[in-house]
Amino acid sequence: MLSQNITQQVLHPNSHEDMCEQTSRNIVLPKPVRIKFEKMNVLKFISHLDVTRTMKTALTRAGIPVWYTEGFNPHPKMIFSLPLSIGTESVCEYLDIKITEPMSHEEIKTRLGAALTSDMAVTEVYSPKMKFQDIAYALYEVTPYEPYDLSVLDAEKVMVKKHSKKGEIEIDLKERIKSIEIKDGKIMIFGRADQLNYLNPEQVMALTGCTDHRIIRKEIYNERMQIFR
Amino acid sequence: MISYKILKKVSKPGRYIGGEYGQILKDKKDIKARWAFCFPDTYEIGMSNLGMRILYGSLNSYPDIWCERCYTPWEDMQKEMKENNIPLYALESGDPLDNFDFVAFTLQYELCYTNVLTMLDLAGIPLMSADRDESCPIIIGGGPCAYNAEPVADFFDVFSIGEGEEALPEVTRLYIEMKDAGTYTREAFLHEAAKLEGFYVPSLYTVTYNEDGSISEYTPKYDDIPTKIKKRIIEDMDKAFFPEKVVMPYIETVHDRIMLEVCRGCYRGCRFCQAGNLFRPVRRKSVEVLNQQAKTLYENCGYDEMSLTSLSISDYPYLEELCDTLLCWTEDKKVSMSLPSLRIDSFSKELMDRISSVRSSGLTFAPEAGTRRLRDVINKGVCEEDLMNAATIAFGGGKSLVKLYFMLGLPTETNEDLEGIATMAEHVLDAYYQNPDRKKGSKPPQVTISVASFIPKPFTAFQWEPQADLETLLEKQQYLGSCITNRKIKYNWHEAKVSRLEAVFARGDRRLSKAILEAHKQGMMFDSWDEYFNYEKWMEVFASVDIDPSFYANRRFGDDEVLPWDIIDIGVTKSFLLREKKAAYEERPTPNCVEKCSGCGANKLGGENSCCPKI
Repeated sequence: MLSQNITQQVLHPNSHEDMCEQTSRNIVLPKPVRIKFEKMNVLKFISHLDVTRTMKTALTRAGIPVWYTEGFNPHPKMIFSLPLSIGTESVCEYLDIKITEPMSHEEIKTRLGAALTSDMAVTEVYSPKMKFQDIAYALYEVTPYEPYDLSVLDAEKVMVKKHSKKGEIEIDLKERIKSIEIKDGKIMIFGRADQLNYLNPEQVMALTGCTDHRIIRKEIYNERMQIFR
Repeated sequence: MISYKILKKVSKPGRYIGGEYGQILKDKKDIKARWAFCFPDTYEIGMSNLGMRILYGSLNSYPDIWCERCYTPWEDMQKEMKENNIPLYALESGDPLDNFDFVAFTLQYELCYTNVLTMLDLAGIPLMSADRDESCPIIIGGGPCAYNAEPVADFFDVFSIGEGEEALPEVTRLYIEMKDAGTYTREAFLHEAAKLEGFYVPSLYTVTYNEDGSISEYTPKYDDIPTKIKKRIIEDMDKAFFPEKVVMPYIETVHDRIMLEVCRGCYRGCRFCQAGNLFRPVRRKSVEVLNQQAKTLYENCGYDEMSLTSLSISDYPYLEELCDTLLCWTEDKKVSMSLPSLRIDSFSKELMDRISSVRSSGLTFAPEAGTRRLRDVINKGVCEEDLMNAATIAFGGGKSLVKLYFMLGLPTETNEDLEGIATMAEHVLDAYYQNPDRKKGSKPPQVTISVASFIPKPFTAFQWEPQADLETLLEKQQYLGSCITNRKIKYNWHEAKVSRLEAVFARGDRRLSKAILEAHKQGMMFDSWDEYFNYEKWMEVFASVDIDPSFYANRRFGDDEVLPWDIIDIGVTKSFLLREKKAAYEERPTPNCVEKCSGCGANKLGGENSCCPKI
């Protein structure tokens, strides 16, 4: 029950920054911190699990006072936004942690940045404004290295096969695409990004006949098209 | 760097990207000698090797030397590399291996030999030392198998014998000086290197053979190179180079943890054990130094697990003090500790309580043989009471899994000894049910027996012994299986065919090079992997080059015979090993080094904080 209370308190948007909260009983509650980072270049070949492991050791190297889960097997509480599929780069990955001692956002950014390589640069640290469940859309920038044909996407429905926990299912990609436009030779794909309806841009590009490309996730948004914070 | 298009096609591309936190990058204009340090197996295995971490750090501690890493690409990647004309490259710079001054291979086990050729081939470097010209890198080997590297001698230009953290920078210095002075040629360099302590240049020694196939003699080609190559050791482990930074792999490797090297060597003297002799004399680090190094590693790695490594950790005389010192801060930081290689007779409740924070539910012990008689033969001086004691402590402390390691096919072994293995496991189970402190209601107890086949290894008292032939080994495995009737006892065994091939290479001589070359030509690689190991194909390879594997694996070598590894001096003398062999057949144990010095000869090498009498 206690942990539930903590969760409710710490998600409160008006919580005072840079200080651990105090309850009336004077228990210091862990304070939520959101870390925005990149996953660039060769790191597109490492899995989400690898990112988790890397972040875990990096937080220790950086000396960030991370809150550990209590229980039989304590581990640092880390929640990531929207796992990235292998092969895709990103400038907008998010990690939520809680800290148990005061440490400024700037210091967290500097320390954690020094404990990671430049391909995994920490770009921002702040108090979370939205919840991960609010994520609804993502924008991808695709640089094609071979010809592509977008006309396949003109059809009313574009059915593709997808592996799911229930085996192979058919989904309509069109339902998941919000828009596709070409800008300076790059294909900007705007797609659904909630847990149930996740658009994999690689799947879109495969349909257009282009498999040699670079894909970068540029931004994620909530249902009202506000940039995720 | 390698193109993404290729990486996308292969399994586990994270193996080939480099760029990890902690990798060392240098400006090529400051560099006078470049090393490509190769581990002839996958990235995940190589990245977990402590020796490679130490040598990488040691070489890179010099501003004009740059050492990079390289591992064997998996077969899918090899195919892509060949099809796209991509030569094997080092991970840090992405430069092809033939651009380097030194290409080093650490030889950790015999079954990696075909991978060495696979890697040289992928790098476009001539496989045979004799075929290399002035443009080729110096191919250098080291590690435990280098103590008898004769089977791969034709592929290497030079071997580093013994501990490398001082020796490798030294040979690099020689190289740089000769290059600077303009006196460098491959031949001149190798001749000079052969004069350095701990370097063996196989091409500078001619081997002749007797009619029966045994070796007649090794003749040095020059008068000024040693007739016996003395291994190098680090005398004072407290002052030895210590890698403060570790390359942190992105992908999961075999050991993602802090490895704290506590000591080198083991003073027990088990007669089958090669490492026990190779790494003599025992040298230990002090508690203060270890605590400091552990903290540094924790801060620089961020791992939440720490393993105290040593051949026999519970023999470290200050282990309790060390554990207490470490626990002062590791508990707070939620770092768990693990102790591999526990000995039954030095395992205590105090020790287990100190490591009880470890999440594992089991403990592993190695009695090695099933009867007291056979344990006296192999000089594994533990008795059944020790084991029962250890098991009782383990079960009392809430553990329910006990794993026991044994060896099968040991010299003088009879069925009675095999039955003893099963009986021992039964007794351990009994100890669980008789233990009033056992955790009730938890998982049922399980005893796992893991059995490996005996392999006669160079530099052991059993180096002259034949390995039991394959049929006998298989019969013994079956017989032991028939002795185990309790379902709570699990029985695992190592593939006897693998052990036989290991025995061939372990005691092999230079003539085996042609078999390894032929195996490589037939596409053989990753022999230590179940999915690649092909015993029948190996037998065909031996037949095709007229080599009888039994000559190496199953023959009793003569006491006076010149052995392929006689050219190496590890400190421990042949006369000591002969005395030990005699004692084995007399079922007479030899006291360990702490109890009484048996005059093995290793103390002539020096060594601080060791139990050896000083000369």
